[in-house]
Amino acid sequence: MQPPDRQPPDRQPFAGQPPDRQRTDGRARQEATEHEPIHRPWLGTLIVAGMAAALAAAMAGIPREHAALPAIARYALEVALPKWGLTEPVNEVVYGTRGFDTFGETFLLLAAIISVVLITRPRESRRGYFGEETAAGREQSESDPAEPDDAREDAARSAEGQEQDERRPADQAGPRTPDQTPLGSAAPETAEAMTVVVRTAIRVALPILAVAGLYLVAWGYSPGGGFPGGAVIMGVILLVYAGFGHRRISRIARPGLLEAIEIAGAAAIILTELLGLVLKGSFSANWLPLAAPQTILSGGIAQLFSASELIEVGTGLTIAVFALLAMEHDWTPDEQDVSREDSEASENSGTAGDSENTDGSEGSAGPESGSGEAGDRPRGRSRR
Amino acid sequence: MTGAALASLLPLPVALPIAGAAAAPLLARISGRLPVIVSLVALGGAVTVLLLEAPAVFGGRVLVHYMGFWKPVNGHALGIAFAADPFGLLFALAAAVIGAILLLYTLSELGGLGPRELGGYACLFQLLLAALIGAALTADLFNLFVWFEVAALASYGLTGFFLERPIALEAAFKILVLTTLASFSIFIGAGLLYARHGALNYAQLHDALRGHVAAPDLIALGLLIGGFATKAGLVPFHGWLADAHTAAPGPVSALFSGLMVNLGIVAIVRVVFCVYGPGSAPVLGLLLTVGLISALLGAVMALAQDDLKRLLAYDTVSQMGILAVGLSTGTATGIGGAVYHLINHALFKSLLFLCAGAVVHRTGLTKLSEMGGLARRMPVVTTAFVIGALSIAGIPPFNGYVSLGLIHSALLDQHEVAAYILMLIAQVITIAALGRAAWLAFFRPREAGHGKLEQLRPGMLAGLASLAGCCVAFGVAPGFFLETVMAPAVSGLLNPARYASAVLAGAGRLPGLHIPFDYASPGELASAGACLVVAGALAWGYLRISEPAPVRVLRAAHNGSANDYAAYAVTGTLAVIAVLSLAR
Amino acid sequence: MILANYLTSAAVFCIGLYAVLTRRNMIKMVMGLSLMEASTYLFMLSLAYRAGSTAPVLLSPPPGESTRALAHGNVADPVLQNFCLTAVVIGVAVTAVFLSVVVRIAQHYRTLDSDKVREMRG
Repeated sequence: MQPPDRQPPDRQPFAGQPPDRQRTDGRARQEATEHEPIHRPWLGTLIVAGMAAALAAAMAGIPREHAALPAIARYALEVALPKWGLTEPVNEVVYGTRGFDTFGETFLLLAAIISVVLITRPRESRRGYFGEETAAGREQSESDPAEPDDAREDAARSAEGQEQDERRPADQAGPRTPDQTPLGSAAPETAEAMTVVVRTAIRVALPILAVAGLYLVAWGYSPGGGFPGGAVIMGVILLVYAGFGHRRISRIARPGLLEAIEIAGAAAIILTELLGLVLKGSFSANWLPLAAPQTILSGGIAQLFSASELIEVGTGLTIAVFALLAMEHDWTPDEQDVSREDSEASENSGTAGDSENTDGSEGSAGPESGSGEAGDRPRGRSRR
Repeated sequence: MTGAALASLLPLPVALPIAGAAAAPLLARISGRLPVIVSLVALGGAVTVLLLEAPAVFGGRVLVHYMGFWKPVNGHALGIAFAADPFGLLFALAAAVIGAILLLYTLSELGGLGPRELGGYACLFQLLLAALIGAALTADLFNLFVWFEVAALASYGLTGFFLERPIALEAAFKILVLTTLASFSIFIGAGLLYARHGALNYAQLHDALRGHVAAPDLIALGLLIGGFATKAGLVPFHGWLADAHTAAPGPVSALFSGLMVNLGIVAIVRVVFCVYGPGSAPVLGLLLTVGLISALLGAVMALAQDDLKRLLAYDTVSQMGILAVGLSTGTATGIGGAVYHLINHALFKSLLFLCAGAVVHRTGLTKLSEMGGLARRMPVVTTAFVIGALSIAGIPPFNGYVSLGLIHSALLDQHEVAAYILMLIAQVITIAALGRAAWLAFFRPREAGHGKLEQLRPGMLAGLASLAGCCVAFGVAPGFFLETVMAPAVSGLLNPARYASAVLAGAGRLPGLHIPFDYASPGELASAGACLVVAGALAWGYLRISEPAPVRVLRAAHNGSANDYAAYAVTGTLAVIAVLSLAR
Repeated sequence: MILANYLTSAAVFCIGLYAVLTRRNMIKMVMGLSLMEASTYLFMLSLAYRAGSTAPVLLSPPPGESTRALAHGNVADPVLQNFCLTAVVIGVAVTAVFLSVVVRIAQHYRTLDSDKVREMRG
C-alpha cells in the first residue's frame, strides 16, 4: 500500500463545476453535454415567477395575525390540562390528541433510516442466479465505457481511494491529530482524536448535553419531547465520535446493538398505542392514570410515547449517520474490472437455469454468512 | 359485533404491517426469509380485519372511528378520524391482498437475496403497504399527508434496491426530487386550507367549502392536485415514473405500479369529491384534459420503448389517464368504471410486472431487442403475460373490457364524442404497444442460448395464478362486483354530504345505487374487436418503419434530466392553479 | 405585519425552487429542496402567530390569573406548531436519504452533474 498522493487543496473531486470547464473534459458522455441547456435560466425564472405569483395570491387571501384562533386549536388548549395533565399543548397535540400522526411519522423516520441503511449497505452474498446483476454489469459498462480516465475522474478516484485506505488499519492511518495534517488534505478521518482543547471542551459539554436531552423528554410538561431529545442524544454520540475517534464508541455504536435498541423503541410505541385499543377500546387512547400536572409522569401515554420516541429517534439517527460514514465503495466495478465483470456475466447467463447454486461470482459464501457488519465483501474492491 | 366496535378495529390494518416492518430488521438477523414470512402473517391479519368490516361497509354503512375517542365538538374535529367508506375500504383491501401476493412471490423469487437486504426490503415493503391502507381509510387531510410521506420514503429505498445498477440510483434521485416537490405542494395546500377554515377533517372542510370556494381555496386545490398527481404519474408530473419502475425489482415495480401510483388517484378522489365536492370547482374538465393527455402520451411512449419494464411503466401513465377520464365524467357509470378500472389496473399491471421481473431475473435481459423466443422457455410466464395484456386490451372475458366499457358508455352518455374517440385511439396504441412487446419478447422465433429458463417455484406460480385468476373473475362476473362493491363505492363519492355527515356524526349510511352494464352491448363488442384489429395492424407496421418524427420529439422531451422533470411538474401545478382560478 | 413573514417564506421557497430548476449539481439541488423545506417551516409558524400572542404553554400564569385563563388567552396556534414539528422530521429524513443516494451516484457515475446522470431517457 503506497502512501496516498496528496491533492492540491483546490482540487475538489465532485464539487460544483463551472460549465465551461465541464465541456473541455467531459468526454465520457458526450451526448449528455452536446448542447448546453441554455433554456434553463430563463425558463426557470419564468416558472419561479409564476410560482411566486400563485403563492402571493394565496397568501394575500388567508387570515392574518388578528384572526381568531381556529376552534380546534382552542380546543387543544382547553383539553391539555384537564384531559392530559399537560401544561404544554404542543406536546399534547403531538403525542396525545393527534398522536396517530406522530405514530405515522415515527415509521416515516424508520422508513428513512432503513432506506439509508439499504442504500449504504455493503455487498452481501446471494444465493442463486440474479439476472439483475448481469443487467447491472452491462449497464455499468455502458454508462462507463472503457476509455482512458480523464483528469477529473482520476482525481475523484484517488481521493476516494485515499479516504478508504485511511479508514482501515490504525497503524497505517495518517497523523495522530489534525494539527499534523497538512492543510487542505482530504479526509478528516485521518485523525485518531482531536486536539486537547477540543477533547476537554467535549468532556465538559457531554454530560450537560446528555442531561439536557433527557430533560427535554422527562419534563414533558414544558416544551420539548422525543424528537428534539433524540436529536440531542444523537449529537452527544457524534461529539464523542468527532472528539475521540471511532474506537471510543465502537463498543456502543455497533449496528447490531443500536438496531436492537431502535426496534425496541419502535415496539414500545406500537405497544403504547395498541394497548389503548385493548384496554380502552380505541387505538392511541390514554390508558395510563393521569399523574399530577408538572411531574415527570404527567401526560399519561403521551409521556410514554415521547420517551419511546427519544429512544427510536436517538438511535435511528445515529444508525443513519454511521451508515453514511461507513459507506464503502464496493458496488461499482472500477474500469479495469469491467471486462472481468462482463466475462462473468456471460458465463452466468450461459449456465443460468441449472440450479440454485449457480453462485455467480461469489461461490464461497454459505447461506447465512452474510451478516452486514462482519465486513464480508465478496466482490468488494477499491482502488489502491 | 356492533358498528362502533368494528370501527375501533380500523387502525389495525395499518398497525399490523407496521409492527411487521419494525420487527423485520431484527428478524433478518436470524434468517433472511423470516421477515418476509412474518410480513405475510401481518398482512393476513390486516386482510382479516378488513374482511370483517367489509359486509357492513359494502352494505352501505360508513364506519367511523376517532383515534383515542377525540370526537368532534360542535362540528370541529381535532382528533384524527378513520372512516371506512366503501371506496376507501375497497382500495385498502386491494392493497393488503395484492401486497401479500407480491410478498409471497418475492419470497420464492428473490428469497436468495442476502438476509440483511431482504430484511430491509420486507420492512420498506410493509411500511409502503401500511401507508397505502392508512391513506385509503383516513378522513383527515394532514394524516393523509403523513401517509403520503411514509409511502414516499419507503419507495426511495425500494427504488434504489439493486445498488449494482447505476440506473437504480439515478431513478432514486429523480423520484426523490419530484416526490419532495410534490410533498411541499401538498403541505402548503393543506396549510392554506387550515389557515382559511381551521379544519383538517374532510367532513369539516367539506362543510366549510360547500357553496363558497374563494380564490385561495382554489390555489390550495391546485397545489393539492399537483402534488397528488405527481404520485399518480399523470402527465406532466410523470417524469419519475418510468425510471423508478425500470430499475426496481419485479415485485417492487408491481407494487409501485399496481398500488402506490393509485395512492395519488385515491387522494385526488378524496380531495376533489369528498372535500371540495365535484360541482364546486371547474375541476372535472381539468381532470378530463389531463387524463386524455396522459392516456395518449403514455400509450405513445409505451409503443416506442425498447425496455420491457419501461414500456409497462409508460402504460401505467396511460392507465392513470384513463382513470382520470372516468372520474371526470362525474356520473355513476363513469366513476364506477374508474373505480372498477382502479382495481383492474392493480391486478393486471401487477401481473405484467411480475412477468417482466421474472424475465429480467431469469435471463438478465432487459431490452426487447435482445429478447425473443421466450415463449418456449417460459411457458407459464408467457401465459400470464398474455392474460395481462388481453386484460389491458379490453378483450372479453377479461376484466379490462368491463371497466373500459363503463367509461366509454359514460363518455357517450355525456356526448363527449371527441373524448371517446381519443380514448379509443389511446386504446389502440396501448394494445399495439403490448402486442409488440409480447411478440418481440416471447413469440418472435429466435434462438437464444439460455437452455430451459423457467424454474417455477410454488410461490411464484401461486402469485401469477391468483392475479391472473382475479383478472378473469373480474371480467366474467361484472354484475356481481358492480352490485356489491363498485356501486356502494360510487355512492359514497357522489354523495359527499352524506359522507361528511357520517364522518362528523361517527356513523352513517349511504344511499343505494345501481350501475347498469350491458355485457353483450354490440357497440362495445364491435369497438373492442375493431381496436384489436387496428392495433394489430399498427403493431405490425410499427415494427417495420423507422421512428416517426412526432415520437422522436416526445422521446426527446423525456430527456432524463431531473431539472427538466421538476420544471415540467411545477409548470403543471401552475397550469392547474391557473385553470382552476381563471375558469371559475 | 405577519404578511411580510408569509411573503418572505414565499420568496425563500422560490429561491429554493430556482436552484432545483436550474442547478445541475445534485448537492445544490438538495440544498434548494432543503431551502424550500425551511420556507414551509417559516410559513407554518407564521400562520400560527397571533398579534401579541405568547407561546402555547400553560405554565406559570401571571399573578391573579389561572392556567385556565391562559388557555383562553392570546396564544399561538399549537396545532400548526405540531405540523411544523412533523415537517422538520420529514425534512431530516428526506435529506438523509437524498445524501446517501447522491454519494452512491457519485460512486457509480463519477460525477454529480445531473445532466450526465441520465442513462434513462426517452
